[in-house]
Amino acid sequence: MKLDLVHDIQAAFRKIVDAMSRPGQINSIKEQADKLDLESGCFNSTLVLALMLLDTEQTFHVVAARPSATTGLITRLTYAKAAGTERADYIFVLNDAKPEDIEKAFRAAYPGNLMNPHKSALIIIEADAVSNDRNLILTGPGIEKESYVKVKTTDHWVELRADKNSEYPLGVDLIFTDTDANILCIPRTTQVRKQGVNQWAMLQ
Amino acid sequence: MRINYNFAFFDESSKREIRRAILKAIAIPGYQVPFASREMPIARGWGTGGLQLTLSLVGKEDILKVMDQGSDESVNAVNIKKLITKTTGIKVTHDTGEASIIQSRHRIPEIPLQEGQILVLQVPLPEPLRYYEPSEYETKKLHAEQEYSGAWLMLFEQIMNYGNMATGADHPVMVHGRYVMAPSPIPRFDNPKLNRSKALILFGAGREKKVYALPPYTQVVSLAFDDYPFEVESFHNKCCRLCGATGVYLDEFIDEGTGATGATTYQCNDMGFCLHNLNQKSR
Repeated sequence: MKLDLVHDIQAAFRKIVDAMSRPGQINSIKEQADKLDLESGCFNSTLVLALMLLDTEQTFHVVAARPSATTGLITRLTYAKAAGTERADYIFVLNDAKPEDIEKAFRAAYPGNLMNPHKSALIIIEADAVSNDRNLILTGPGIEKESYVKVKTTDHWVELRADKNSEYPLGVDLIFTDTDANILCIPRTTQVRKQGVNQWAMLQ
Repeated sequence: MRINYNFAFFDESSKREIRRAILKAIAIPGYQVPFASREMPIARGWGTGGLQLTLSLVGKEDILKVMDQGSDESVNAVNIKKLITKTTGIKVTHDTGEASIIQSRHRIPEIPLQEGQILVLQVPLPEPLRYYEPSEYETKKLHAEQEYSGAWLMLFEQIMNYGNMATGADHPVMVHGRYVMAPSPIPRFDNPKLNRSKALILFGAGREKKVYALPPYTQVVSLAFDDYPFEVESFHNKCCRLCGATGVYLDEFIDEGTGATGATTYQCNDMGFCLHNLNQKSR
């Protein structure tokens, strides 16, 4: 493993901080992800995130067609404990996960409680591609006016997320990554709207 | 004994703990995220919270500015800078515009912050409701229920006692319409700079073991009443005696050398800003 666990992880973390504080801002951690050469069953960028965030004090869950290899590897690398979706601090949804499994994961993920909203799960999703094409409109803290993103996935995460995050400050935060190690963060404060379906405005 | 410390002083597991708290804090603006605050080689209450944030953020490419109540050269600022540079080897600056990370005690720089910069504020008392509720469990419950009558009552009592809102610093703010937050003891003059700031602002309280954050472009409203609006300190008709700047936060000096009464003079509180102005003039 050529990844420098001090400096590369720090550089990647700053990209995540920037992406989390400016939802819609897509940052690349390709430089760091390319240094990984492990047979992991997940994207290298996902593994960088696991190395950045997980240790013995954290629990995680992998949603995938065959999750056991990736789960085993993450446990060996980080000493984090694998747990059920309901109790996982970090949920990794790999690219080959079935839409129904993703839906189950969203529904089961812990949204925190009103006294401790920070105990909620962070969901990391492997998408086919993320870009700034005009498909979804994002508004909220971190965004000056609006930002635009397109996330290519098989599931309907927009509705699942809206459902899960209906009672702010409860909810889950999302990090999307793709094959090119791009990172897009959508914290729970971000309002996500689909482009061109603003029928209410048209009726008024 | 000479110890070779890890880059940025901390072991990687400490950085991970603080980094996780930072991400949660950004996701829930104004909410105080508890974290496992570390023992630091400076005393608690001298910026350990801010220092821990800076150390878990900092990388080899960063340029750091540390200021303490506007001064880059105070003992506290110098010692924090020394610890960080000795364990990272990064460059430090006085220039707000040049810095990528700015750690500050009790001031937001006069030069407007830019996108991509991170302002780290040191916080002694992160809980805005502590004044009237000593129990941490109870204040957590009050935040959960968005029950902030106590914060309003505190301001109301000040108006009753003094005729105005007498918060000298640390005037509470409402963040994103949800959480009442202590902005750290910045003067009221700096409160409006929090609203829709271009830079990410992180708050660290080491002794109280809390981290909270304001992502850029977050709505921050200083608490006030319709008939007693929020007002910043006024420096009307006053200017800096060194650089002549107006409309900035000024320190008041009484010059005892000018006789029994003593002449009052004013000087920029933000030393980096004043130096910047003087350098511009001398060019």
